[in-house]
Amino acid sequence: MRQRVLVSSVVGVALVIAALDATFGVPTTRLRVALALLGALGVAALGGLSVARTRRDHPLVTRVLVTVVVVVIALVATARLSSNVDTDVAIGAAMTIVLLGLSFLTGSSGQISLGNGAFMGVGAFTVAIWANHHATSPLILVLVLAVAAGAAVGFLLGLPATRLRGPYLAGMTLAFAVAFGAVLNVFGSWTGGDSGLQLPNAENAPRWLVHLYPASTASLSVNSVWLAALSVVSAGVALLLMANLFASRFGRAMRLVRDNDVAAELVGISLPRARVVAFVVSAAYAALGGALWTVVNNAVTPSTYGLALSITILSLVVIGGIGTIPGAIIGGLIYAFANSLIGWITTHTGLNPQGNVASQLNGIIFGVLLVATIVFAPMGISGALRRLWAHRSR
Amino acid sequence: MDAFLTSRPVADILGGLTNGVIYSLVALSLVLIWRSTRILNFAQGAMAMLAAYVGFAILAPTTNYWISMGVAVVAGIVLGGLTERTIVRALYGKPEINPVVAMVGFLLVLESVAAAIWSTVSRSLPTPFSIVDWQLRGRPVAMSPFALYEVVTAVVVMVVIAVVFQFTRVGLQLRAAALNPEVSRLLGVRVHRMLTVGWMLASGVGAITAVLVASNYFTGLTPTTMDGVFAFGFIAAAIGGLDSPVGALVSGVALGIAFQFVGDYLNSNAIILVALGLLIVSLMVRPNGVFTRRAQRRV
Repeated sequence: MRQRVLVSSVVGVALVIAALDATFGVPTTRLRVALALLGALGVAALGGLSVARTRRDHPLVTRVLVTVVVVVIALVATARLSSNVDTDVAIGAAMTIVLLGLSFLTGSSGQISLGNGAFMGVGAFTVAIWANHHATSPLILVLVLAVAAGAAVGFLLGLPATRLRGPYLAGMTLAFAVAFGAVLNVFGSWTGGDSGLQLPNAENAPRWLVHLYPASTASLSVNSVWLAALSVVSAGVALLLMANLFASRFGRAMRLVRDNDVAAELVGISLPRARVVAFVVSAAYAALGGALWTVVNNAVTPSTYGLALSITILSLVVIGGIGTIPGAIIGGLIYAFANSLIGWITTHTGLNPQGNVASQLNGIIFGVLLVATIVFAPMGISGALRRLWAHRSR
Repeated sequence: MDAFLTSRPVADILGGLTNGVIYSLVALSLVLIWRSTRILNFAQGAMAMLAAYVGFAILAPTTNYWISMGVAVVAGIVLGGLTERTIVRALYGKPEINPVVAMVGFLLVLESVAAAIWSTVSRSLPTPFSIVDWQLRGRPVAMSPFALYEVVTAVVVMVVIAVVFQFTRVGLQLRAAALNPEVSRLLGVRVHRMLTVGWMLASGVGAITAVLVASNYFTGLTPTTMDGVFAFGFIAAAIGGLDSPVGALVSGVALGIAFQFVGDYLNSNAIILVALGLLIVSLMVRPNGVFTRRAQRRV
């Protein structure tokens, strides 16, 4: 109990400091007011969370408040960070959405997918193709379309998945990940073949956001704040939905399917239905993440969505912690800053940044971490933290 | 007769046979490991790739094909044993997704390490026999001395594996350890050692496969050479049934020939799609493989 109070007060103080820093460190009064309001919202949510009765009696309200705190922290941070870091945050937040999807599939229903990179590709290409034919569609419509396309492909692939277990399913999704590139090639006139597609119009910051900044600010940096905010808020919505799904009757049924499918069938859960739904949810989440990547990068290339991406996604989920929401956020953070971190390591160890070793450092570190995690700490970072936590509380 | 031998369908069958035996070998390695340890070795292709690099990159100055091939096979066997002893041993009895994840991680490590040492630039391997197709009255038969060597090597490997399993003491112990570890242990079989031997055998077969692949295909040897081949080998093993070595061999060759026809008459991009379709249909109809005798599942 004492730890909880400690943590929430630490987060609270950090939030206040960040808000103060943001408030006085930014160029215009308008932005200062906006950030102060945002910070106040975060502190208010934290205050609501600190009431024990809220946490006990209103789980839905609790989840909403936690999401608000997380999103506010990320938003305040993006307003203060450089535009390169903002882009990293946008990419990482989109990756968090993908990780939530795979975490649900693997952690709740016990299935495994090596094809989620390809599902991301479905979302990414849906956005690009649609934008090239209907340049002026509102963003929300495009994102919904991408999610629908991902869900549809997930459903098709989920049907055979209902009869497969563990390694067979992993192999089938791996084949899908390998086949995805060929599919893009077959429809080369739509997907742009090997070079991929550019979006006709970049996603620009709305006028109200531009007005918060001084007129001299480069539109690029305002846009990167906007894209980061877009990704972070989308991730927040995805997170909230997933938290509710985890806690719902369906989520509990899923965990029974994972732990003992015979028992699950005996209490009346339809195994095929549960497995297909888990697959569809995971594919839809992956597609949303891929769609956001296209919007952030303003372009899409097929080589991004190969087998390597699917393996990276699996690594991040496992390293963060399978089947937990904090694990997906940790994985997203790792992904967002992995390149910067590896660049830092490269410069501080004196490796040739263009050399073979430096360019492969990413894969070596992720691979070793993945094997070590599954052998020594199968529940990943969030599982290890939770165990530490339980140990301390006693 | 000559016109028949140089006709398009025969060319497809011969070409498909050459590719098919490769898929069979990959599938065979997977089945060997699956039967003994119930683990689908996703790092199979990468382990084989690394063994091929050890054989052909370290000994590059000598350029004697047969010495390099021997070194690659030894490297493969050692790597297989080491992998079983270090990574795999920690995973027995864990939930069935843990080994999948660990082997995918190992795949990533191996491919990155190979690229870090030898770069991603393709390396062409020497060939012991000509890769130019034989001619019949000025028209090529879709079979070269090298392709024949490939098929013969594959058959020899398969026969050796079959003989080891059926007629030797180690083979009997291997089968016993896979069938019933508890009873085998009571009867004096050193089960853990047998599991290591199984991995070494499979990995040695993998090394031969990787060398054949790297010198046959125009891709040469790169850290990701085996990715596509592994996917087809897995599909062959899954269709044939992961428990059935014969199924792996038959479906590997059948797929190789089928793909050749698809690539020739339709489109080379369609091959992997047809493969995925075949995999899905066959798994829906016979989830345990076409050649597996009884459906079994441990609850």
